[in-house]
Amino acid sequence: MLVTWKYRPRNTFIQSLDPRTRFILLACTIFALTIPDIWDYRILVSLFLLSLTQFLLARIEWKDIRRPLFFISILVFLIVGLNGLLSGRGGPSSVDDPNSPILFQVLIPGTAWGVTVTISKLWFAMNQVIRILSMALPAILIPYSMDPNIYGTAFKRMGVSDKISFTTDLAFRFLPTFARDLTITMDAQRARGYEMDKLKGGVVARIQRLAPLVIPVTMQSTVTGEEVIDAMDLRAFGTAPRTWLKELHYAPRDYAVIGLGVAIFITCCVLKWGFGIGGFFVPDFFTKVLVG
Amino acid sequence: MNNNSTWEFGTRQVVYGAIGAALYGALSWATNFFPLPAAGNITFRPAVAVLIFFGVAYGPIVGLLAGFIGNTLGDLISGFGFYWNWSLGNGLMGMIPGLVMASITDFKARSQIIKAVGWGALGIAVGMLFASLTEMFTGGIDLNTALVGYFVPAFLGNFIVTAILLPILMIAFAGVAARRGR
Repeated sequence: MLVTWKYRPRNTFIQSLDPRTRFILLACTIFALTIPDIWDYRILVSLFLLSLTQFLLARIEWKDIRRPLFFISILVFLIVGLNGLLSGRGGPSSVDDPNSPILFQVLIPGTAWGVTVTISKLWFAMNQVIRILSMALPAILIPYSMDPNIYGTAFKRMGVSDKISFTTDLAFRFLPTFARDLTITMDAQRARGYEMDKLKGGVVARIQRLAPLVIPVTMQSTVTGEEVIDAMDLRAFGTAPRTWLKELHYAPRDYAVIGLGVAIFITCCVLKWGFGIGGFFVPDFFTKVLVG
Repeated sequence: MNNNSTWEFGTRQVVYGAIGAALYGALSWATNFFPLPAAGNITFRPAVAVLIFFGVAYGPIVGLLAGFIGNTLGDLISGFGFYWNWSLGNGLMGMIPGLVMASITDFKARSQIIKAVGWGALGIAVGMLFASLTEMFTGGIDLNTALVGYFVPAFLGNFIVTAILLPILMIAFAGVAARRGR
């Protein structure tokens, strides 16, 4: 087993941004879509294009990103998209408009029951996919384009307490160690005849057979923890505010990006609550294309 | 063995929160790509038992940090991105069993193991319910999908793993702690 960070330094605009800026922009995008509950395709497409631009600007190689994109696609298109298409649930009640033209019916074999797919449901499913991708794409980028050594400092500079920031920092440092421990333990158990790949038997037996792998690593980590605690206590950890080696400074481009994020959030709120724009509707062109 | 006040947040909680998070992240990563097949769309995550063990052994702060940061780490190294509601749900799943820490004095006693598994089940129920219901706002799914499609499989898979592995972890920990003398 190999746990390697996907991060590689790249000379891109995205990586030149302060990590706090990227967290704030991501939060603004998520809040702008979810708090005022935006379903208007014009806003959704605009935000999707913004997220797609970030994704493309990061210039991550296809071989690195294809597997996570595959899993995300299954989740978004099959689970969420099909759910929206067939049931029309999860969005505003106007999705279930009884006057929406019927596209086709999916009959359940052997029964008289069926699911009616309307123009409204199809449009809703497409909007739902775009909405989720708008929030997921910038988040997928993070492990590929943000230095793992800087998470702790970033959280501290965003106002998170020293202890929580240090916990985050320490967790990132421990991860490769425990991944290595898991590999060593698995090899040692295999040398004793443990067959990880042949998990025979029922559910209980299969889970029980994981114990020779999980228990030694967990117990070793509790022993390691005591040593780390002693070392930190000897250095008077937690007795005074700590300093952080890495410094973060906002550049003009960071202020511009944060301003954009805040403007997006405020605009979505004002449009929805001030002008009633942002709710779900099926545009005429979509209906005309499908039913003439 | 267990003399810390429940909500204390000192060096011990920082270190074990980080260790729990790293373990949870590494084990979650392993089972994200090599899932243990089960019935329907239930996937077993053995890491959940480790998370609940850290909550029971070291308290709610450690459980919360290990669940929140660990789930975030696991998703990040798997390339899935960041889903705050699932990370917070995992944090709750570790925090709630931690509330029983003060009353667990003997990790080998059957009654205390049953108590820990019971609190673990409560933590799984609350954590997964929170994550599933908030998915209605972030993912735009309906209540039925949130409960049947997300909550029930997550709860069942996590509970089965916890009921099997948590007692083994607790008994092993009793031996390690006895040898260590604290």
